[in-house]
Amino acid sequence: MSEENWIEVGSTDSIEEEDLIRFDHQDKTFCVYKLTDGFYATDGICTHEAVHLEDGLVMDDEIECPMHQGIFNIKSGEALSPPACEDLKTYPVKVDNDKIFIKID
Amino acid sequence: MKNNIIILGGGQAGIYAAREIRQNDSKSNIKILGEENLLPYERPPLSKDFLLDKKKAEDLYFHSSDVLKNENIEFENISINKVDFENKKLFAKNDNVYSYDSLLISTGSENKKLTLDNNLKNDIYYLRNLEEAKKIKEIVSNKNKITIIGGGFIGLEIASSLSQLQKKVVVIEIGNQLMGRIIPKQIADLVQNTHIEHGNEIILNKQIEKISKKNDDYEILLNDNSLIETDFIIAGIGSTPTVKLFENTNLKLDNGIVTNQFCETSIKDVYAAGDVSNFYHPFYERNMRLESYQHAQNHGICAGKNIAGVKTEYSSIPWMWSDQFNLNLQLTGICDEYDEIIERGNDINNGVIYFFLKNNKIRGACGVGVIGKVGRDIRITSKLTEKDAIVDKQILSDQNLKLNKLIQK
Repeated sequence: MSEENWIEVGSTDSIEEEDLIRFDHQDKTFCVYKLTDGFYATDGICTHEAVHLEDGLVMDDEIECPMHQGIFNIKSGEALSPPACEDLKTYPVKVDNDKIFIKID
Repeated sequence: MKNNIIILGGGQAGIYAAREIRQNDSKSNIKILGEENLLPYERPPLSKDFLLDKKKAEDLYFHSSDVLKNENIEFENISINKVDFENKKLFAKNDNVYSYDSLLISTGSENKKLTLDNNLKNDIYYLRNLEEAKKIKEIVSNKNKITIIGGGFIGLEIASSLSQLQKKVVVIEIGNQLMGRIIPKQIADLVQNTHIEHGNEIILNKQIEKISKKNDDYEILLNDNSLIETDFIIAGIGSTPTVKLFENTNLKLDNGIVTNQFCETSIKDVYAAGDVSNFYHPFYERNMRLESYQHAQNHGICAGKNIAGVKTEYSSIPWMWSDQFNLNLQLTGICDEYDEIIERGNDINNGVIYFFLKNNKIRGACGVGVIGKVGRDIRITSKLTEKDAIVDKQILSDQNLKLNKLIQK
């Protein structure tokens, strides 16, 4: 894994548990989540309609789109409930010295 | 046991029921009979992204024909004109006969039509299906001043889309507020302001006396003698359940097909789901008929389980949305049974929600805001409603306090 694709998102205390923050990098936007067992990252935009998931509800490892209630598994990106049917892309996350990094390909 | 299961109606409730039956029953024959020669498709985008050309017809299908083939679900485009519940048979216009062991009726609802005393029936357009959406889209490309009769969800969504296509839009509503059937006035007024800010004209409290044709255009005379000149008319004045086929049968009808919480009708082995069903809701302890995306889907799934022998009660808290301009409006539960209203927020940019409480418990809520701003809170509200818990009103009313706190308690 090349080091240069790890992008710093922020400090680990910038996200509350069972919550997320939005992270924009170049022309892309992401959601970075803190779940009970660690940090995760997905694309920021719902695959159903172009709305950002930053205002969605995080619960039980799932993110629910605030617009039409499409639900995705945060860890796998799997679309779990209509109207979403296309999976959400996920990204590797690591924590180093209390900083969160995501690996953008 | 291998049964013949027929699903009458090829919309959202029908397709979700079919797939749910297959999940629980690998053997039975499942056949959907649809009046439109199209696989089941999503209707919400018709008034929005389809008119705006952001979505094409092929983007609207719930599932490809491959999915149905893989799950061994048959779809047939046919119109049924007679039902014999006693002998469990359906008769088609082309003389085909379909026998069933279990029948799901998911015929949906249909648009109410304006009653006009002259010969303008074909001049007024309605929007429910893809064919109608295609026609409207094609015709409005050459029109400029468009009148929409009816200020409900569908009329306002079309008004929003046509405004975005640079059309001059007038909305005429008979009631004293927009979306009056289910949306609280406070929220309706915020939506109305947004329409006006975008240049749409909203006329409330007016009835149509007469529509006349002048060359290729129309004149609409209102009951205050004002006259609206327009070159295209679309009406969205509500809908009625599609039950004509059952009117002279034993099937119990009352504002749709009366069903219990298991989607069962008054006739054994006959189920109903979606818009056509006036179902008993065990949480609200009353019957209701809903016309929404979430309901069509979940009610279809519930009917599918029950048909497959997995006894399942339907108690989903109602939820619906409308998208107009940059606004997303959401409603959860029911907002007409309350003894207290609590307001959360007052700026549409951050979202405004009204909670409707009875005996200190939430019965429903309605919110509107710039896209994304009310969804999370409305979703949490659905969960709080379902829990039937006494809620902390301070948290509900203060937008700086997260609603999550209430659900974690």
